[in-house]
Order: sequence, then C-alpha cells, then structure tokens
Amino acid sequence: MATVTSTDVPQGGSGDSHAATDAGRMEQFSYDDSIVRMFAAATIVWGLVATFVGLTVAVLLVLPGISSGLEWINFARLRPLHTNAAIFAFAGNAIFAAVYYSTQRLCKARMWSDALSRIHFWGWQLIIVLAAITLPLGITQSKEYAELEWPIDILIAVIWLFVFGGNFLMTLIHRRERHMYVALWFYIATIVTVALLHIFNNLVVPIGTWASIPIYAGVQDAFMQWWYGHNAVAFFLTTPFLGLMYYFLPKAAERPVFSYRLSIIHFWSLVFIYIWAGPHHLHFTSLPEWASTLGMLFSVMLWMPSWGGMLNGLLTLRGAWHKVATDPVLKFYVVGVTFYGMATFEGPALSVKSINAFTHYTDWTIAHVHAGALGWNGFMAFGMLYWLMPRIFQTKIWNEKLVSLHFWIGTLGILLYIVPIYAAGLMQGWMWRAMDDTGHLMYPDFIETTQSIVPLWWLRVVGGLMYFSGVVMLGVNALMTWLHRPSEYEVPVISAPRLSDEYHAPGKPRQSPLEGVAVLEMSKKIESFAWMGWHRRWERLPVKFTVLVTLAVIVATLFEAIPAFLIRNNVPTIATVKPYTPLELAGRHIYVSEGCYNCHSQQIRPMVSETKRYGEYSKPGEGIYDRPFQWGSRRIGPDLAREGGKQSSFWHWTHFENPENVSPGSVMPSYVHLLTEDMKYDAIAPHVQAAAYLGAEYTDEDLNDTAAVAMRQAERIAAEIVEQGGPAKTYEKQAVALIAYLQRVGIDLFAEETPETAAEGTASEADSEEQTAMGAGDTADDQS
Amino acid sequence: MIKDLVCALDYSVCAEWALALFVVAFATITYGTLRLSQDASDRFASIPLSDDVEDPRS
Repeated sequence: MATVTSTDVPQGGSGDSHAATDAGRMEQFSYDDSIVRMFAAATIVWGLVATFVGLTVAVLLVLPGISSGLEWINFARLRPLHTNAAIFAFAGNAIFAAVYYSTQRLCKARMWSDALSRIHFWGWQLIIVLAAITLPLGITQSKEYAELEWPIDILIAVIWLFVFGGNFLMTLIHRRERHMYVALWFYIATIVTVALLHIFNNLVVPIGTWASIPIYAGVQDAFMQWWYGHNAVAFFLTTPFLGLMYYFLPKAAERPVFSYRLSIIHFWSLVFIYIWAGPHHLHFTSLPEWASTLGMLFSVMLWMPSWGGMLNGLLTLRGAWHKVATDPVLKFYVVGVTFYGMATFEGPALSVKSINAFTHYTDWTIAHVHAGALGWNGFMAFGMLYWLMPRIFQTKIWNEKLVSLHFWIGTLGILLYIVPIYAAGLMQGWMWRAMDDTGHLMYPDFIETTQSIVPLWWLRVVGGLMYFSGVVMLGVNALMTWLHRPSEYEVPVISAPRLSDEYHAPGKPRQSPLEGVAVLEMSKKIESFAWMGWHRRWERLPVKFTVLVTLAVIVATLFEAIPAFLIRNNVPTIATVKPYTPLELAGRHIYVSEGCYNCHSQQIRPMVSETKRYGEYSKPGEGIYDRPFQWGSRRIGPDLAREGGKQSSFWHWTHFENPENVSPGSVMPSYVHLLTEDMKYDAIAPHVQAAAYLGAEYTDEDLNDTAAVAMRQAERIAAEIVEQGGPAKTYEKQAVALIAYLQRVGIDLFAEETPETAAEGTASEADSEEQTAMGAGDTADDQS
Repeated sequence: MIKDLVCALDYSVCAEWALALFVVAFATITYGTLRLSQDASDRFASIPLSDDVEDPRS
C-alpha cells in the first residue's frame, strides 16, 4: 500500500487508476473518505438538532404554556419534527457515513461515482431542511414517520433509490472482493425495502403543492401505514445498524465476528420475518383478526434471530473484554448491542395481544422506542463516529476523557429517560382500566391520569438533558479534532486485482459422492441442490442477490398487502356512514395539519374500560371516508373517536382558546390562532374534489358551489356558539371548521336513516350481510 | 365476476400460508448455512479486518 496526498489522486471521478485493465492484474485506487467526513459531520449536526427538539417537546409536555399560542412550536407540530430528525437526519446520516466507509473497504473499491455521492449528500440534506420547514408549518400527511408531503416524498424516492441505491449497487458490481461480506447484505436489504415501503405508503392524490390525501382509507390506510411504520424501524433503524455492527465492531475489537454462519441466519431471518410484523401495531382495532394474529406470530418469532444477532455481536468481544474497560468505543458498542437485545426482546413481548392490550396507547411504547433509539441507534452511531474520527480526520481525538464522559452521561441519561417513562406507561395502563367494586371506572376523568404522570415526565426532561449534553460533548470533540487535522489529508493508494468475469473455485472441482453410483438421475440433482452451491453463487452476484432480497420482501408483503387491498370489499358497509361535508372536510384537514393524532387516538378498542370511558367501540365501516386515517398511536389526551356531540360547539371554541378554561390541569397548549385566523372557504373545493375522485359521493352543489355550502354550515355552527354564550361571527374563523369536524366524528354509526335513504340503505345492508359472510372484520349487526 | 371471486376468497388462510412459506425458507437457508465449511466461514468473518482480498468460499 502506498500513501499519497489528496492532490495526487484522481478527483471527481471514479478515483481508480488502472495499472492494468486485464482481469486478475493489479489495479490501484483510493477510497473516497471526504464523503464519509461530510456524512459524519451531518450526523453530529442533526444529532444535536434531533435531541434538542426532543428535549423541547419533552419540556412542552410539562410546560405547555411556554409555546404562548405560537402554533409553529406546539408539541403536536414539533413531535414529528423530532422523530423525523432523529430517524432520517441523525440515524440516516449515520447510516450513510457507515455505508460509504465500510462498503468501499469491503468491496476494495472506491464508490462508483463521486458525483452521485455528493448529489446524495446534498439531496438528503435538502430533504431534511424541507422537513424542518414544512412540519412546523403544519404541512403533513399525518402518518407517523411518513409525515412529509408528496413533493418531498418524490425527492426522497429519487435520492434514495436512484442516487444512493444506484451508486451502491454499481460499486458492488465493480468490487474487487469476490465475496460480499454480510454487512453488505444488510445494506442491500435496507435500500430495496425502504424504497418499497416509502413508495407504497405514500401513494396519494395531490390536492395542491403542499397537500394531499392517500389513496387508501380507514382500516386499509392504517394497515399500509403500520406495514410501513414498523418496517421503517426494521429496515431504517435495524438492518443498516446491524450492517454497521458487523463491520465496525470487529474492526474496533480487532477480532472477527463470532459466527459468520450465525450472521447469515440472522440476516435471512430478519428479512423474512420483519416484513410481516407490522399489524401488531393494530391489535384490537378494526383490522381483521387474522392479520393481527399474523403480525403477532411473526413478531414473536423475531425474538430469536434478534438475540442471535445480539449474542453474535457481544461474543465478537470474546477474549477482548479487557479492552472494553479502557476503550470507550467498545463501551458504546457493548451498551448499544445490549440495548438492541433489550429492545428486541421487549418488542416481541409488546406484540403479544394480552400485553399489547395493556401497553398500547401508553407511554410504555415511548420508553420502548427510546431504549432502542437512544441506546441502540444512538450509541452504535456514537461508537462508530469516535472510531472513525481519528481515521477520517487523520489526527488523535481531541479529548479522550470527554469521550468517556459522553458515554457515562449518555448511559445515565437513557436510564433516567426510560425508567420513569416505563413507570408512566404502567400507571396509565392501570389507571385507564381500573374499576371499582361496582363496575365503574375508578378514574373516569382522563386528566387524573395525566396529572399523575407529570412528575415522571419531568424526570424524562432531566434524562433527555443529560443525553443531549452527551451529544454536545461529541460535537465539541469532533469540532476540536477537526481543527487539529493535517493541512492536507493523506490518501492511501490501494492495490487489488480486478475480478474476472467468470469465477473458478480454487482447488479441485467438486465431485458428487453419487458420481458413478447407480442411482436415479433425480437423486444426483437433489444431492447437487442440497450442496447449496447455488447460494454460494448468490453471495457473489450483487444484482441477483438484490433481486432475490427484493423478491423475499415483496412476496412477504403481498401475503399481507393483497388482502389489505381487497379489504375494502370486505368492510361491512354501514348505511348511515356518509362522506364528510365540505366544511367538515376542511376541519379534518386542520385536524391533520395541527397534528392532533400525536396526542389523541380515534380508535376505541372492544374493551370494557374503553367502551365505558369513550363509548361504542370503533367499526371498520366507519372509516371508509377517512383519508388519512387518524387512529393515532398514543393517548396524551383522550380518544376522540366518539367526540361528536359530547360537548357544545362553544365548549370547543373555549377549549381551543385555552384548554385549562374548561379542562383544568390539561397539558394541551392553546390553539388560539384557530380563533383568529380566517377560514379560506375558496380553498375547500380541491379537498372535496379529491375525496369525490376517490369514491365519496357528493352532490353537484357540493362540488361546484363548495364555498357556499361550507359557509352555510359554518353559519349554523356560529349561531349555536352565539346561543351558547360565545362571540359573534365565528364562521369567519378556522376554529369553526374544526368544530364542525369534531362534532361529526363518530356519530354516523348512531344516525337514523332518513326515509329517502332507507331504500338505498336496505340494499347496502343486504350487500353488507353478503360481504360479512365472507368472514372479515365486524358484522353488520354491530352497526345498528 | 371478479367481485364474486374476490369475495369468495378466504384471506384468513394467508396466515397459515405465510407461516409455511417462512418455515420452508428458513429451513433451507439454515441448512445451507450449516453446510458452509469452517475454513470458509473463518475467512469471510475476517474480511473487515484485512486489506487482503479473500477467495470466495469453495
């Protein structure tokens, strides 16, 4: 290996200098570490942003008043910013730093295109900046971890699949190492699966430049979203970090991975199993029972390969545990892999229906997620960055003690975060379902539970502050290390032979033990198949391997997706469920924009404690016009699935102005801006047209004179508000549209059919009964 | 007709098919993995540690 300065090697191209072009002869090349430096720096910057916004939203929960009515910094708008920043900005850039560093070394090749690498970097940063601008502005699809609107989604697809994926695949094709190391398999699975998830979950009908509605509705939309949501965790926060682990942990420990065989089983098991697990997010909802059970079954099966991977990581340190005591990088990895084990044990446990019935919608899920994100993703990324820093900046780390301090304050910060939040989850679970001897709820007022856990939320703020302090230490250390870099980076020149197009195994060709034996030809073929030479070939062929991984994911997906697409035919029709009026549709859009789903669910499970608290449980037929679905995943506030008619319109008006006026102790911030901003009636029409395009029945007047129809309903509500003691002319304000929507939520189920629609209703019911007999979801008998 | 066909499908069997498919795939991969020689396994495990180019498994 020779070493030259950065000016001596080819720049801006492939970086390859061919000493010879014939296969088998030596070629010289250099690695592109500048792109690794760029992604590593972005990881640290966005890590600071993500944890700071996380700390901010934690504070907003205990001090909601500090947003002072400014909608851009309300919890519900900033929480998606926090999750997106943590997942796609911090973890995303960490993944890219790991991929660009390790892929080049594992392939013994420079990235195929320096230009694509840089387009990837700047394109991804642009996406993050667009997310940081649009989410606080209330531009959202309201699907968790898929909030970004369609123009950004298209940009993500292009940058991820064609720029990043294309560059990666071409690098694999031009590699000089015959065998593709298992870390590369994890990267392949990440690229193809995330692309599939992203594209299919974001199929929408655009309403404008920054608004859209999904092509899926209700239960179908929920199904697609959590197929995406769970696998975003699987293939964005797990598989690439496992690739990272399989490369960087052996490097740091200077030991080969404990069991390469186990890593292969680990890989294929995760690829086969993970994709089925999403429906466990929807237990006891309107989702068909079989899908929910399937999700639970595969989630439980995930435990074994996940622990296989964890043990493979920890046992890689065999004989090197003495280093862990002194090397902070290994400390980060040990804690990171341990948290992976914890999270992947807890995840399957939470997917079991009886446990999920207790934990779902509670803070337990939040603690689980943060154990994984802060412990596994965060610490693996930090370990990688500290290992990389001296290598990519070509100087010693500025302050080793600060690294150790980061480790300890980060570890303690995680514990101080998750332990109180687990406790909060337990308290919520117990208090929500607690019954007295007479069969009544012991804590019928939702606020009682909220107030009980506020002190635990304060502890989370302290834990979050400690974790954030650790990231600041990382930032300072990285900056100071960078400032001490050499004036010019050295660029080692590597020599390796180009791979021949055809491969001939070394040694003698394999001879079948059945050669010359008097057996059926079929036996010889079976013996040859069982030798598994075909799998050996796959491991050398990147395109075929990628196609096969894609097929594995697609086949698994289809088993769930095809029934999901056909669910519409099996959702029992409820004759009284009608499309939202234009004003309600506009109000629903406000509900989505404000991110109400971040705190309020709209899905009542068939459990006594829930039906007593909220009302009749939710039916699949109720959501056929809900685009996007608004079931939510946690209850910081009460469920709103039966909110319609529970409170007066003036109560809602007052509640938006200051929730504590009507609900003392509430942690909901003021939405006073809805009371002051004018309603744009002319902007409603595209929403109605898009809903009609997707099958909702609207009259010609609704479609052609939308603003007037909406205004008439707004005037009726405004009159009610005046009658109830409220101000005049409220029909001019946005709050009226939201009130119209909230007064409509969940009431159609109990509506009585008018004589005109009775005949239609009879036909619908007959159709419904026929479909219900096919065995999906609830029965129409439930819908009276 | 298509609607009749779709309505006649019993999606609940998807769960059993999925499980069977997974078991077959998992068993095949596990079997193949166990047939990997110790020598090849050791060489590939050490790929990240070495700048030398390794021969593929034989």
